Amino acid sequence: CDPDLLDTQPENKYVESNFWKSKEAAYAALTACYAPLGYSGVYGGDATPLWEETATPNSYNETNSMSFNALASGQHSASTGGVISSRWNHCYSGIGRCNTLLARIDEVEMDEEEKVRMKGEAHFLRALYYFILRTYYGDAPLVLDPPVREHSDLPRTPASEVIQQVLTDLETASDVLPWSYGSSDLGRVTKGAAMALKARVLFYEASPLFNPQNDMNRWKTAMEAAKAVMDVADEAGYDLYPDYRALFLPENEHNEEVIFDVQFIYPDGGNSFDLICRQYNTNAPLLDLANAYLMEDGLPSDLSPLFDAANPYENRDPRFYATVVFPGDTFMGEEVSETRFAITGFGQKKYSIYDEEAAPADKADLKSKQSETNYIVLRYADILMMYAEAKNEFSGPDAEVYAALNALRTRVGMPVLNSGHSQQEMREVIRHERRIEFAGEGLYYNDIRRWMIAEQVLDGPIYTWDKKQLEIRKFDKNRDYWWPVPQAELDLTDMEQNTGY
Amino acid sequence: QEVQISGQVVSADDSQPLLGASIRVKGTANGSVTDMDGSFKLNVPQGAILVFSYIGYLNQEIEVRDQSFLKVALEADVQVLNSVVVVGYGTQKKESLTGSIATMELTTKENQPITNISNALQGMPGLHVNLSNSMPGVDRARIRIRGVGTLNNSDPLVLVDGIEYPMDELNPDDIASISVLKDASAAIYGSRAANGVILVTTKKGNDRSQVNYNYYFGVQKPTTLPDAIWDPIAYMKLKNEAALNSGKTKPQYSDAQIQEYEEGMSSDPYLYPASNWFDIALENGYVQKHNLSVSGGSDKFKYRLALGYLDREGVIIGPNNHEKKYSIGLNTSAKVNKKLEVGLTLNGYYRYYTQPSYTNGSFWKYLMRTLPIMPDRLEDGSYGYTWLRTSGRNNWEHPTMIAKEGSYKKDVQRFLSTVYANYKLPLDINYHVKFGIDKYDGYLKRFIPQMVKKQSKTGQLYNWNNPATAPRVYNNDYNDLNIHFYNTLQWQKVIAEKHDLSLMLGASYDKFGNSSFGAQMTGYLDASLTALDAGTERLDIFGNSTKDVLMSYFGRLNYMFDEKYLLEAAFRYDGSSRFAPGNRWGFFPSLSAGWRLDKEAFLEGVSVIDLLKLRASVGILGNQAVPLYSYENSITLGHNYSFGGQLASGAAATAYADPSISWETTTTYNIGVDLDLWESKLSITADYYKKRTEGILRTVNLPAQVGNLSGPKQNVGVVDNSGYELTAQYRNQLGPLQYTLRGNMAYNENEVVDLDGQILYSDGTNLPTITQEGYPMNSYFVLDAIGIFQSDDEVANHAYQSKNTRAGYIKYRDVNEDGIINGDDRVLVNSSSVMPKYTYGFGVNLEYKGVSLSADFQGVGGVKIYPTANLAFPFNNGANATWDWVHDSWTPDRPNASLPIVTESTGKRDNFQNSDFWLRDGSYLRLKNIQLSYNLPSAWLAKLKIQRMSVFVNAQNWLTFTKYKDFDPESVLNASTLYHYPMLKTFSTGANITL
Repeated sequence: CDPDLLDTQPENKYVESNFWKSKEAAYAALTACYAPLGYSGVYGGDATPLWEETATPNSYNETNSMSFNALASGQHSASTGGVISSRWNHCYSGIGRCNTLLARIDEVEMDEEEKVRMKGEAHFLRALYYFILRTYYGDAPLVLDPPVREHSDLPRTPASEVIQQVLTDLETASDVLPWSYGSSDLGRVTKGAAMALKARVLFYEASPLFNPQNDMNRWKTAMEAAKAVMDVADEAGYDLYPDYRALFLPENEHNEEVIFDVQFIYPDGGNSFDLICRQYNTNAPLLDLANAYLMEDGLPSDLSPLFDAANPYENRDPRFYATVVFPGDTFMGEEVSETRFAITGFGQKKYSIYDEEAAPADKADLKSKQSETNYIVLRYADILMMYAEAKNEFSGPDAEVYAALNALRTRVGMPVLNSGHSQQEMREVIRHERRIEFAGEGLYYNDIRRWMIAEQVLDGPIYTWDKKQLEIRKFDKNRDYWWPVPQAELDLTDMEQNTGY
Repeated sequence: QEVQISGQVVSADDSQPLLGASIRVKGTANGSVTDMDGSFKLNVPQGAILVFSYIGYLNQEIEVRDQSFLKVALEADVQVLNSVVVVGYGTQKKESLTGSIATMELTTKENQPITNISNALQGMPGLHVNLSNSMPGVDRARIRIRGVGTLNNSDPLVLVDGIEYPMDELNPDDIASISVLKDASAAIYGSRAANGVILVTTKKGNDRSQVNYNYYFGVQKPTTLPDAIWDPIAYMKLKNEAALNSGKTKPQYSDAQIQEYEEGMSSDPYLYPASNWFDIALENGYVQKHNLSVSGGSDKFKYRLALGYLDREGVIIGPNNHEKKYSIGLNTSAKVNKKLEVGLTLNGYYRYYTQPSYTNGSFWKYLMRTLPIMPDRLEDGSYGYTWLRTSGRNNWEHPTMIAKEGSYKKDVQRFLSTVYANYKLPLDINYHVKFGIDKYDGYLKRFIPQMVKKQSKTGQLYNWNNPATAPRVYNNDYNDLNIHFYNTLQWQKVIAEKHDLSLMLGASYDKFGNSSFGAQMTGYLDASLTALDAGTERLDIFGNSTKDVLMSYFGRLNYMFDEKYLLEAAFRYDGSSRFAPGNRWGFFPSLSAGWRLDKEAFLEGVSVIDLLKLRASVGILGNQAVPLYSYENSITLGHNYSFGGQLASGAAATAYADPSISWETTTTYNIGVDLDLWESKLSITADYYKKRTEGILRTVNLPAQVGNLSGPKQNVGVVDNSGYELTAQYRNQLGPLQYTLRGNMAYNENEVVDLDGQILYSDGTNLPTITQEGYPMNSYFVLDAIGIFQSDDEVANHAYQSKNTRAGYIKYRDVNEDGIINGDDRVLVNSSSVMPKYTYGFGVNLEYKGVSLSADFQGVGGVKIYPTANLAFPFNNGANATWDWVHDSWTPDRPNASLPIVTESTGKRDNFQNSDFWLRDGSYLRLKNIQLSYNLPSAWLAKLKIQRMSVFVNAQNWLTFTKYKDFDPESVLNASTLYHYPMLKTFSTGANITL
């Protein structure tokens, strides 16, 4: 017999040795660096960012999707799985692919300028994945080379070093990325996105949880980074989108307010935002959130003459109607009964295409992974709010702070905020404004962590619209501010676990 | 006066020449043995009495008068089975075997309702046979020979008449015998032999024309199902209790709802059903089988033709649980001339089976998740949907609807065709060549209609499945072609009467090719058309194609001196395309020896001993069962993302590969003894073995920080298996009562010797197991439950478990004494792996004047099972609970209850963390089969020209002794849930007629 008969070759896959040959391959590899954005551990899966809201006083996940309710009620552990393990894993999927691309793309013969830009995109994505790891877990192994087995032995790198690398990567990215792309490349990382992410990184690093020494200078750098984005708003084309509700609809994607968003399309990469908002109701808003909306005169309900206990949801901040569906409201062409959203009585409208009017027949019953609405990671309103908060913390409430806040209020028709607030008062105003402006978007979880107020706002009972108690949440301030490193990772390494797990 | 006499010794049964039959002049040492043609030549005194003997046949005495040629037909001694044993590339006499080989004649399983032959191997010594799925069409057993020595595929190599082919693609009625090579005797199959080798021999034709027809019909029902709560009120109350105990402050069902339900039950079964879903969705199954065979021939030409038909209806209601099999068996041989013999065989099935459109697995998952408050069909016939809301049950899976709507049918044609030739070369060399084609054609047709349920109160309709993708059709075409080719040269010679020598050399080439192609379409108007081209929208097209090649050279030398000392040496040299160049070729030698003590002078006078043989063997076996191209880092497509609303294709590595991987090698040692006493009334075989597998190919788990890649396959790890096997059989008769008692037991101990210091968690299982040096593979690794907390004070004084912990919760041992219960407190529960330590079987045959009764018991011991989720745990993810939670869970009034306080088990928190509290004993002893049959008196039959006719009744799996009550212990072994087709018990009856 001829031994060459044993030389079979795979007929159905590429192998690494002959992959890095063409521009098309390089682009495919870069696409795979973006892909984890849509994974359940990052901003995708069925509805991970919307469920993240359920780990806050804003809403409730009755079926514990991705273990978010375990996080809300302090029942999670290193073995819980769900988002605790998938976030760690999926971030490292992205990091490994970015590292490979950065190391190998030089082998590809293609336009050098294009190559430099592609590396910039990878630098941004690597920074984003590391920033997520740092935000939830604290220290995390910092790997910057293509995956090799020896990386198994790396310990957790101190968060300060991780953040240093994140800032370096973002610097590299913003140096080479363009302000915008042609229509076929919409969704790629821009220079503005790199600057905006840098602002968020510095902003988090300045906040109490991440800044235990209370280094006031960090607020200053955060403020400057946000300001830098505001300063280039004209050049980059950033502004507030006039319609707060329509900002989150698929037909308005890539509008002027969107700085960086995660792309979803059907059928090959959709999310389930509409299904969970319309039917599953696993991001059910809680009474606490509904009550938090001010009346349209800018006063809280207990002080406002506009409040009518018989019709508690009339005359609220217009953002309420753009975010929450409530008993007595109209939704999908029908009046909302008390049992339409059976879990808390409330449903979420933001990030769903469904609203007052009946949906078109072909969209009326969108199921799992059929929704195309992009998830906005960074929007211009957030830049304004970061700027306001950082500035207030650093130097107190000046006119620019008021201006930033009032820009958001004016957009939705809420009365402007009058001057005269103390720094402390302004801090409360800003925190409330953030909660309302970003309700349902998943940002509030990190806000209450950052501010270290979770033991005050997360601990205790939660209620349905008619004040029926659902469960009593607990928050252990000595443990729950940080997520545990997943048990599977500890089993395979010598990494240290976070305190209390 | 001496005369020269010649002759031929054949088997009376089939006129086949008997090789090695002995001819002895009575009262002297003078004698001879027959050659390959069964012929002999001998000088004897006139008037001498010749004694013809052959193992497994009755002795025959013939007085020499004036004959010069004797044709002697020896009658088989039915008491001595398995006298000739099929071994790799040949046969051997059992008495001269030096390896450990278990054999089974299918006549011992006659008239049993065997749907697949793998299920009939239970009870063979050293085999662990586990039927984890009883579904018609896929009810194949998992076979493990002498434990598991690899982390990869542990299935034995199966060859049918020398060609690799799955035994379950043959009609059991076409199989004559099975040999299981358990030790170095398997080494002739080299790189595929490490898990043991099973040789299946099909039935062949013989001289005597014969027509056989047999038939049976059986009824089947599940052996055990969980004791679910089908009383809706009891269910709702317990569910509320569990929700409150779990920390929820709002009951699931309000008092008003429960009251309304209770009052409504008597008047409106649609709004207030008490659905027992096991009654609603399951029914008795049946199985029936016809077998017809015609065989016969002459000296020159022999044939056997067989047809089989199996028809089986499973226990799921509706048409989607059916199986039909049509088998063909053809076996012919022709002697072209004195030197050349040729033959052709064709064996296999055309068959199909159906299952629910969402697959069998989903059906059982949904059935185990259903609730008594869920209505079946409403008054108007539509599928019902309860008006009560239950958390986690947004879109209730209706078992009747899922069982009946849509279709899933797989058609398979699989046949093994072989042609062979034997040619006698000069110098007594026999050349054998065989060419086999194993062709598999499968076609899967699946249709999923739109399924709609109606809410019982509001009448509102709900789509159960997604209207965007339903109705949809999924078709998949499987097309596999395996080609096998081997040649052997065989030579045998007796030199100087005492040196019996035989030699075999061979080469083979095996090529395996698999491919499949499939498509999905939607855009069907309704559920009436289900062809692929009736749809309007293409959803998906997919396919794959792989091939691999194995080339081999092999040989064997047998030497016997003076019938006392036996020696066998064999080798195989295998090259496999599964590894990188440079690592492809492997050498697998073996050596074995035997000593016939009964032939020694010092035992000559001991007439009670018929056979006493000591055996020993050593050999090196390989395992090449790794995924193709595991040695190359592959980049996979499909890691997509979209830009500008258009999908962009993404490519990335997802696994880490090691190019240096090669064979796993198992070194096996065996010593054994065979003892036959009192004219073989009592026969005993005992074996002790030790196997060491080195270079185990396993996935080295990598932490996510390595790019979240799955780890590489590497040759690391050493695993030992050692154990013993004991088989005994005693046959005798008491007057007209003939009886046989038989039994065997095997013990296997598994130990991981070296894993390069690594620990594997839940490797290849969904179970909380660990594979670690010094312990059996896949040992359970769980928290140590040390009772139930009786008071909140006790909770406060114990290590911190969770915020919920209070009286009634399971108490875990704080192993590392750090004051907190977490993953660091898991312990390795000794002697509790997922593989049983003991397997055993015993049985009895009684025969009295044509009436015979046989019973076979089979059991396993030293195994633990860990069922979780729906019905194993209460209220998991919106599912039901079992009755023991109603009356045997902890409450302040029931401090000694066996279960903890009832809580919802979703999320495996608190009481449902992995702990030894839920580790169950999976040992069982089962009356596998009991059969009563009656052979009609031949005097009656003779008038009808019928040779033989029997009628019989048979019961299978009707009696099981086990501590595990929730489900059948056999079917949950190695599984983590109860979502399986349950084990079935069968009651069958039929007839067997030979003309």
